[in-house]
Amino acid sequence: MHELSIAQELLRLCQARLEAGQRLQYVRIAVGELASVEPDLLRFAWQAVTAGTPHATAVLDVAWCPARQRCDACGEIAERQPGSWLRLCPQCGQALRVEGGDQLDLLTLTPAATELKEVTP
Amino acid sequence: MTTIDARQQILAANQTAAAQLRQRFARAGTLVVNLISSPGSGKTTLLATLARRLAERWTMAAIVGDIATERDADRLRDAGLRAHQIVTGGACHLDARMLERALAVADFGEPDLLFVENVGNLVCPANYDLGEHFKIVLLAVTEGADKPFKYPGIFSKAEVAVLTKWDLLPHVDFEVDAVCEQIRTLRPTARIVSLSARDGTGVDELVCLLNDRVAACKTSSVP
Repeated sequence: MHELSIAQELLRLCQARLEAGQRLQYVRIAVGELASVEPDLLRFAWQAVTAGTPHATAVLDVAWCPARQRCDACGEIAERQPGSWLRLCPQCGQALRVEGGDQLDLLTLTPAATELKEVTP
Repeated sequence: MTTIDARQQILAANQTAAAQLRQRFARAGTLVVNLISSPGSGKTTLLATLARRLAERWTMAAIVGDIATERDADRLRDAGLRAHQIVTGGACHLDARMLERALAVADFGEPDLLFVENVGNLVCPANYDLGEHFKIVLLAVTEGADKPFKYPGIFSKAEVAVLTKWDLLPHVDFEVDAVCEQIRTLRPTARIVSLSARDGTGVDELVCLLNDRVAACKTSSVP
């Protein structure tokens, strides 16, 4: 779906941070559980947008960030599995708040050790 | 080679465009509402109903996003609303730059209330800030009671959740309490409104909410 446009934006941001002639080796991003982005589809889209560019071998590393559920009285709920939402606090039965999980961030990028060679016509 | 700390939002360009739109809407005193739902849950029908109910009090306009056809804009014009269609040609959501370009073409001036009817999709539009004041997510009772937990992104971001096609409730297995619980789990402060645009049930509540919000927007806008 929109993973392709996100991959395009990501490549644009990375290119803006590279110096002339630098090739991208590794990119690390954070994707939250509530960001409506599927990491596998994003990796696939990344391959598609980098294909045919000097960055075609760049690895996209996705750090998955689950949302947290918190009870005002008992604190963070530790036993929650990503994708399954608790309706009430298992300890005291109160309503829970949802925190975090909305990241869609570029974290770091690593240029390749060897610079691109000038292509002579 | 060293690793570069490049921490920033991937959709930063959209955020910048959205922030500019937000400033512009604030200066104009225009309340902007972003409507998001799956296809067929009743966004256009609800907008047509709201247009008729709010027309006496406010000037309004609508930007409508669809992958193809001008049909929704035509339906809204029939309801007396100034409407401009964005045909996305395959894109599954509207972004802030698309909205900015559409507003330039549509030339609506400074309406009191601008509706943005997003492309029918519960996933992708959730990511793209359009500079709106708030999002309304629609869920038809015919869609089933498990949707909020299946689409947590949008249900956690929408300030108002509207349960539509309420007149059909007796004919479907839609566990209202379970749905409201899911919505409140994802967003404890969510305002949930149940309505039927067809028979008018519950529409008053949403009309009141919008009246209050437009009025508040007018008072807070810079003259």
